[in-house]
Parts: sequence; structure tokens; C-alpha cells
Amino acid sequence: MWRLNKVRHKAGRQCDSLEALKLKRREHEKALRQARRDRQLVSKRLLLNDDEDMPQVTMDTNSGEQDVVSLFLKLQHSGPEREAHLRTLSKVLRDPSAQLTFIKQENSMHLLVGFLTGSDATCRLHAVRCLHELSHSSHTNVSPACLPATPYLLTYLSGQSTKFTELCLYTLGNLCPDSDIVKEKLLAQGIIPALANCLENQSHNLAVVEAVGFTLSQFLQAKDAAEKIILAVLDSSLPSNLLSVLTSDPKFGLAPAIECAWCLHYLTCSSLNSMKDNRVLLAHGALLQCSSLVVSLGGAVAEGNKEEGMELFICPLLRCVGNLLSSCPGNDLSTQVGDVGIVVALCALLQAYLQTQPALARESAWVLNNLTAHSSAFCSALLDLNLVPGLIQLLPFSQGINTMILRILANIAHKKKEFCAQLAHRGLLSALCATLKMADQEMVTLSMDVLYMLVVSGPQVTYCSLLSWDNQTREPATVVETALTLGVPSLKVAEEFVRQGGLSLLEAIQYNSEGEIRRRATHLLEDHLVSYSSYCSDNNPCSSGNREASHVHL
Amino acid sequence: MLQPELVRLGSSVKSCDEDCSSGSPREPSEDEEGNPFIFTPQLIHLHRDHELFEDGDIHRHLYLQDLYFSEADDQPALRVSEFACHISGCSAAFMSLEEYEHHYNSLHRNVCCSCRRSLPSARLLDIHIQEWHDSLFTILAQRQDMYQCLVEGCGQKFRTSTLRKDHLIRIHMYPPDFRFDKTKKETRTRQTKRQPQKDTDMEVVDDVCESEGVCEVMCDMPSNQPEHGDTMETHVGEEEAARMAKSASPEAHVHLSAAAHSSENTSTEPLKPRYSYRIPTTVCFGHSSVRGFRGGRGKRK
Repeated sequence: MWRLNKVRHKAGRQCDSLEALKLKRREHEKALRQARRDRQLVSKRLLLNDDEDMPQVTMDTNSGEQDVVSLFLKLQHSGPEREAHLRTLSKVLRDPSAQLTFIKQENSMHLLVGFLTGSDATCRLHAVRCLHELSHSSHTNVSPACLPATPYLLTYLSGQSTKFTELCLYTLGNLCPDSDIVKEKLLAQGIIPALANCLENQSHNLAVVEAVGFTLSQFLQAKDAAEKIILAVLDSSLPSNLLSVLTSDPKFGLAPAIECAWCLHYLTCSSLNSMKDNRVLLAHGALLQCSSLVVSLGGAVAEGNKEEGMELFICPLLRCVGNLLSSCPGNDLSTQVGDVGIVVALCALLQAYLQTQPALARESAWVLNNLTAHSSAFCSALLDLNLVPGLIQLLPFSQGINTMILRILANIAHKKKEFCAQLAHRGLLSALCATLKMADQEMVTLSMDVLYMLVVSGPQVTYCSLLSWDNQTREPATVVETALTLGVPSLKVAEEFVRQGGLSLLEAIQYNSEGEIRRRATHLLEDHLVSYSSYCSDNNPCSSGNREASHVHL
Repeated sequence: MLQPELVRLGSSVKSCDEDCSSGSPREPSEDEEGNPFIFTPQLIHLHRDHELFEDGDIHRHLYLQDLYFSEADDQPALRVSEFACHISGCSAAFMSLEEYEHHYNSLHRNVCCSCRRSLPSARLLDIHIQEWHDSLFTILAQRQDMYQCLVEGCGQKFRTSTLRKDHLIRIHMYPPDFRFDKTKKETRTRQTKRQPQKDTDMEVVDDVCESEGVCEVMCDMPSNQPEHGDTMETHVGEEEAARMAKSASPEAHVHLSAAAHSSENTSTEPLKPRYSYRIPTTVCFGHSSVRGFRGGRGKRK
């Protein structure tokens, strides 16, 4: 069931050129994006016949419809040719208009169900194949027509025939998103327990496991009844079984693990009450397992083993870790996540996927944010393992990457003053001089917050330098007093910042159109870089010294 | 990019790193008076439909629909942040730091905060402030030679700006319409129209903020006024040129060229035997001041 191979063949044979394929894909992608924005993103899967390498080109419509009618008529008579007719019907039903014609025939579904539940095993297989083709239809009328078959499909999930079970599963998975009625019926008919049993009993059979994962993920993406479905899933044996699939040997194919990982992702992020729901998953060791997987995958990627399709697996894992972290009590963090090596893995993923899958890089950065938000241990790991310079190098990249990375650095700075010094030491100051000039207002604001933390992170300045102020305007004593209450800046950091032209940069920022940004710049200049105000931006202290210093008001 | 409503503070499960009070997370913003820095580390929970997940979801569904592509094929491009000029009203954006620095250094430095005119060097700014905004200078100038020669190193001083101008033209071969030497009295007629200058105490002037760009600033600026005896036509012509330039592009250099164009028109007017000392109103070297403390700070009212 590993689909990537099939696609490559498809690309070679079906389309005229790679360009045509790319174009088709780009358009499709646009449609998918719009569907996602409308919260209508839904996919169906077509399980191909064993003798097929790719979906057959659809036949001439009219003949398809005629074939359906004639086949249907023929099937109503008993005889040994039924098997052959049924097989032909399953091929004919690949055609969308044939599908519509079929369901319009009176008692067509009844007939099909008859074969599905009959004593002829081969006919059962062909019948379920017919249903599968019907389920793949994008026409809204077709799925409800298949409802009479669903209780049987569900029953067969506990059967032993692999191919048959697979077809049943994919059929159910395809039917699910089409209408709420279908969903409700399937839920009432006990699909969740059926899936749980199937996964439990057929865990050795990876094709079936993949199909269960797919079908479950279809249900978990439901908009309505999300709470109900999630509760039902969490109550069953599904969570632990899904988790065990993740760690099965990837040599046998990532496909089942991919499906199960996406199920887990939907479980961690769909409900409104995810905090509570995630506790259940945490209790199952989900975070521990997912994070150790991230560690091993990150390690593999760092060594250059970027298997094709790996990101389809890494993506949901990252999301699980990220969202589970946000529900994890802080003091539990070390037990739930394991050792701090995960930060290495995440940085490796960031670097490895930055150019090819920037969204994945962004999600890795998000996970790092959640790791570092409330844990000094992870923050100091980033520093000690010398991962900070690599992070700083990513600050030019937009679309959410640099804001997230800056958050990570801010998290580190927020923990301890020693961390601030280390960050400054590793080049954060000059990076900030660049980020403060960016167009993105969020970057500018964050940069100033970080700068503030760096600047106030040091010991008190001695009295002597304070008294070098313009003594036309203030009495020295008052100045010193007030300066101490304000928190006098770390000499080194502030000095370095000023040396890099920071003062004139902040002065310019005071004319920014955003009030919040202006306030921050003013605050930094007036309360924290005060003793440097006699520095001109071109290092020309004398003449304007008096004028410039006089802008202190305390 | 993060939607604020989907960022959830992990307050109720905050670690014992910080005080675990039942309720809102500790924010330093209220600790110190008026401290605007409100950053706190936040656990970010992302709901399924969050936009941050969009690309990954699309990739997943393309895979389900047998349209998966590997890295070799066209990929979403990684984008680099733009830089943008901070000065409110200046909407210039740049792809590199160098461009930003060049823009900033050319257009927003050495700006007089009183009249928002930008001068090319610190020295010229000093002279400008002295001659235009220093009342002491005006008083002294009545009795002594106060107008410095603009050429650095020359050192000569003159009783009036006209004399200095003549000196520049005769001795230093300056053009008669040198843009950085204009007399102040040309501006007085326009001054009343201008909105009251706010105290340059780090406040962005709102009337400027409303502008569409640098252009409107230029129009409002009390720069070159028609000299006494000028017809209204030239004045209007300049305004039109400004409007024309405004619709073209926000980039300052385009304005300059449009302005240059208009100045050509006005300066070729046949009825003017004397030198045209005006800088066209459409020429502006930037808005608000960086070293504007020079002009305003010392002059608190």
C-alpha cells in the first residue's frame, strides 16, 4: 500500500510531460487550500485492483451507463455468469456517470448487499469492490445510497480476509465525510469499537493497519460531533494501539505509521477541551513516544537519511509533541519528554527542511518554543549544545519562521540573566540590529522585548559614569537614585549595542507608526541607555553632547 | 502570523518555575510603572484549523489523493523578510540591509526637527538650525557677520545671506540655484497654513502619519515659497507636480525627478532676471528627524 511508488509510475506513463503533472498538481493544490479555508478539506482513497498500477482512464460515458443498466439486468437472474458480470460491474463503476446511473436503478443497492452477504466468497469480493468504487464518488447523492451496506461492512471488519477487510475499511472511510447522516449512522452502528478491535486483532497486517488508520482519521476530522468521537476513541484501546504502530519497524513501510500519526494529531488538536483530552494521551505515554521518535528521526535526517515521504510522518509527530507539550504540566516535563537531546533533533529538522519544506521547519520551531517556554533545562541545553548560533542564522527567514525563532530566543533570555549574557555573546545583539529594521511589526516588537531583556540583565553601573551627565539639568544625587530604581543596564551589552549603532536605530524607531513600538524605543532610550546618550551615532561626542543628554527626563 | 485568539497561555498548568497562582500568568507589564515590555514565554496550542498547519495539511491530502511530490519538484519557496523604513509616513521597503541603510542614511539623517527639512550633512544642518531657528542668531546677525560660507574650510562670514550666496557663486563656483542654501523669509508666507508643530519630544506627528507617503509631507512642508513677486502660477505648478508625483510612486527618488522636472519649468520662466533660490516644494529629503534634538531639544518653551 505504499503509494509513493505508484505515483511515480503514474507520472511516467499517464501524463504527457512532467510539466503537465506539475500544472495539474498546482491547480489541485489551490483547490485544496481553498477547501481548507472553507473547512471542507476532505480526501478519499481509491484502493486499486491488484492488476492495476494506476486508475484506468475512464471509458466512454454513454457506454458506461448502458453497461451498468444491462449488467444490472443480467445480475438479477441467477446463474454462473453472475460472478463475471459482477466483476465487470466493478470495473464499470469506476466511471462517475455510471455510478449515478447505478444508484438510480431501483433496488440496485439491495442487489449488491445481497451479493455482499451471500455465500459466494468471490461475489462478496466483487460486491465490496463495487461499493468501494461507489464510495469514491464525489457526488453527494452516492454515499447515502450506500448506507444499507454499512452494517455489513462493519461486521466484516472482524473477519480474516485481508483484501476484503481493506476494501471494507476504505469504503467506510470514504463514506464518512460525505454527510452527517452517514457519519451518525456509522457511529451509532459502532464503528469506533469495530475499528479498535480491528486494529487490535490485525496489528500484524500492515495493509489493514494502514486502512484502519485512514478510516479513523476520516472520522477524527469531523467538524461536528468531534467531542463525541474523540471521547469514544480515547475510551477505547485505540490510543495505545495507535502508539504501538508508530514504533513498528519502518523498513516495512511508513504508510501505516503515517496514518496512525495523523490520527494522533487529530486527537491532540481537534477538541475544544484538548487540555483534558490530552491528559489521557499523556497517560498513555504519547508524548514520550512521539518525542523519542522525533529524536531518532532527527538523528537520521541529520545524517542525511532523508527518506522520501519522511516528512509525511514527521509532520504529525511534531504536531503531537507540540500540542501535548502545551497540555503537559511543567514539572512533568522531564519525565514526559525524556532527555534534552530532543532539541538537537529539532534543530536538525529545522535546518534540513528549511529550504524544501519551510512549513515543517516552522513547526519544528514551534515545538522548540513549547519546550523552552517554561523549562530552564531545555533553554540551557540549547546554549550548552551550541545550537543558538544556528538559530540566529535563521532570523532572516519569514513566513512565521523568524518570529517563532525569536520567541525561542526570548524564552531563553527570559529565564536567567546569565542566559542573556550568553546570548549576547553568541551574536544575538547584531542580529537584533538587523531584525529591528524588518518590515514585520511583530518581529520589531519582539526584537525590542529581547533587547530589553538583554540590556537590563547586568549588574549595576558605578556611580562615576552616572555623574558624567549634563549637569545643567539635573542634580547628580537625584539622578543616581532614580537610575538605581529603574534598573541600570548591563554595561557590556548596552555598550556593545551602542557601538553597533543601536542608538540611532532606536531613535528612528521612535517615529514608527505603531504606538507600541514607539513606546518601547522611547523606554529603552530614556530609561536604559541613558548613560550612552552622549554618544552620537557617528561617534562624535563633543558638540551635541549637551543637547542630546538633555532629553533625559526622570 | 499567530492569531492571538488561538494562542493559549498555559497558565493553568504553569510549571513550578514560576509562581503558580490560579489565574492569569504573571506579566511584568504592571510591575514597573509604564514598562511597555510585556513578553512572557507562552505555550502555544494550535488548533487543527490553524493557518500554521495549512501547508502540512495540504501536503498530507495531496498524498492521500495520489498527488504527492517529492522534494525535487517545485516547492514552496522559502522567503526572506523584507526590511522597511521605520519613519512613519515613509513606506519604503527593501530586500537587503544595505539598501535599507542607504535609504535611511540618504533621506532621514540630519533632519531638522522644527521644519523637517533634511540636509545632506551635519554641518549644513547645524548652519540651517542656526540661521533659521535660532533667535539669538538673528539678533547677532544685525550687528556682525554671522552667515558662514557653506564650503568647509573657507571660514568666511557675511552680513547677509545674499552676500554669502554671491560669494559662493563667485568664489566657489556654486550654481545659483544651490538647493541647500535658501533664505528663510521665503517660508514665512506659508507658515501660518501649517499645522502647529508638536513638541518634538519623541512623538510622531499625527498629521504626517495620515499621509499616504512621503509626498503629502512634502506638500505640507513650508519649503520653498514663492518669492515676493512670484505669480501664483508657479506655485500651483509645483503643487500639481507634487500631486503628479504622489500618484506615481511612494519612492522618494521618483519625486525628486518629478520635482526636478517641475523646477525646470519654473526656472525657465523668462521674467526672472535674478537667481531662483527656491527648492521646489516637491523635493523633500525625508520626514521627521533623527538628530532632531538639535533643533528642538534645546528650545523647550
